Amino acid sequence: MTTVPLCVNFECDFVLQLVPVESDFTMDQVAEAAAHHSLNRRVKPQPGRTLRVRLQDGESPFDRESTVEQAGFQVMETIEVYYE
Amino acid sequence: MALLNRSDWYDIARDTNWTPKYVTEEELFPKEMSDCFDVPREKWETYDEPYKTSYREYVKVQREKDAGAYSVKAALGRMKFLDSADPGWKSILKLHYGGIALQEYAAGMAEATMARFGRAPGMRNMATFGLLDETRHGQIQLYFPHEYVSKDRQFDWAHKAMHSNDWAAIATRHAFADIMSGRDATSVALMLTFAFETAFTNMQFLGLAADAAEVGDVTFSNLISSIQTDEARHAQIGTPALKILIENGHKEGAQKLVDIAFWRNWRLFSVVTGPSMDYYTPLAKREKSFKEFMIEWIVGQFERNILDIGLDVPWYWDTFLEDLNTTHHGMHLGVWYWRPTVWWDPAAGASPDERDWLEEKYPGWNDTYGKCWDVIIDNIKNGREDLTLPETLPIVCNMNHLPIVGVPGKKWDVRDHYLDYKGRRYHFGSKVDRWVFEQDPDRYAGHQGLIDRFLAGKIQPANLEGALKYMGLQPEDCGKDAHDYAWVWNYNKPDKVAV
Repeated sequence: MTTVPLCVNFECDFVLQLVPVESDFTMDQVAEAAAHHSLNRRVKPQPGRTLRVRLQDGESPFDRESTVEQAGFQVMETIEVYYE
Repeated sequence: MALLNRSDWYDIARDTNWTPKYVTEEELFPKEMSDCFDVPREKWETYDEPYKTSYREYVKVQREKDAGAYSVKAALGRMKFLDSADPGWKSILKLHYGGIALQEYAAGMAEATMARFGRAPGMRNMATFGLLDETRHGQIQLYFPHEYVSKDRQFDWAHKAMHSNDWAAIATRHAFADIMSGRDATSVALMLTFAFETAFTNMQFLGLAADAAEVGDVTFSNLISSIQTDEARHAQIGTPALKILIENGHKEGAQKLVDIAFWRNWRLFSVVTGPSMDYYTPLAKREKSFKEFMIEWIVGQFERNILDIGLDVPWYWDTFLEDLNTTHHGMHLGVWYWRPTVWWDPAAGASPDERDWLEEKYPGWNDTYGKCWDVIIDNIKNGREDLTLPETLPIVCNMNHLPIVGVPGKKWDVRDHYLDYKGRRYHFGSKVDRWVFEQDPDRYAGHQGLIDRFLAGKIQPANLEGALKYMGLQPEDCGKDAHDYAWVWNYNKPDKVAV
């Protein structure tokens, strides 16, 4: 297991942020780690909706159970975290 | 014996194009230091500076300027303006002095480059006076804040900031190294004097002077107006150089340097002057919005200058005009949220009345930036200040070294304009920043931004505490909300509710 710093773009926030995750994190855990730095800080939560993870310009999100390693994220990969 | 008129002897006295005897012309004026375009020496003979002065005249005028600025300071010092000044205005002073005073010395070295390596005698002559100008600007902008240090140690950053690894200092050094200390004399004439001084110094030294006069800070208004009179003179070094380059087939190369410098300056001003004018200056004292000042000074005057001389407006002009509506709001939000990382106390500028003003000046502000401020306001009202403070770092652009920001809320458009180059990923805040990098990748590729340094293990402990230490910020230096959140409680007044 290794730490992978990511460049996170959280929906409706105004800035990209550095978010470190572990290589065995699932996409749901990645979304949770990203949300910690945006949600309830500058972005209002949307109860009942699910956060998903995709690459910048990615057409579809990664499977929620797939891991950082399986997704092939490189160090400082730019990802978008958004409400489905 | 009567003195000759200056015009009778000026050209002969300043035409010091002697024929070198012990070295070659190329050794005396190496291309890398003098003129990357390599325009022949005889072509530079036509350089005609529009503003001519002698040393005797220069010293007389400068002495009078200094006497004026220092006497106003001495007379008004007794009024203790600072003691009663709005905290937002104090922050403008701290930001201004820390960001600018030492860069004036660096600008002096850039003028010295032109004074020594400029290919035209007129350029060398004017730049010699420019060197003296910048020395004066450095000294006076260190002297004026010095008396405040005993009252407020953040003013000590007038001298300290540029020696530190604070992110704002890294951004400023990187931009000015690119247009000043890291260029040959001809490029400096284009990038510093033409692109920066004929455009942007007007914003900081005349636009802000107008706000200073409104606020009642006569000392500061007088000081920066005095500085601008020097800038207006030595800014004229670039125009005749541009004419020579265009006449000798180098329009494309000259245009590129102007485009690079203009963009780099714009991004820097979006974090320095934008928040100062639209958020820190007390609402009742704002003469115009930042955008209105920019349209007057940049879109109006600089655009006319650039077209008159035979260049085109930069290729990204439409992007720049759109940026006037957005970028500085994101920069301000970032500086306020990461306020422990700056040496001034950012004023939020987001009270109900201020939001009305922002919405009027920037239609749609409430649906975008206002959405982020809504959450911040709720957190403060609910006693959750902790949620208004950062626990990580923003990604900074590998060109301008400022946070990568965009429009939040309903028009969310934040984007990483990244580029992979020689096995490393570079992150950019805009397509123009990436374009600047692409013009000369190896010039920029080796530099490590704050995040690169963090990831390389140079910041220890690897958390925000370690980052503050790395930036040289002691707890009492760190910025906090300028008004101690008093603006939030205006939302409780019955005639105003949060938007």
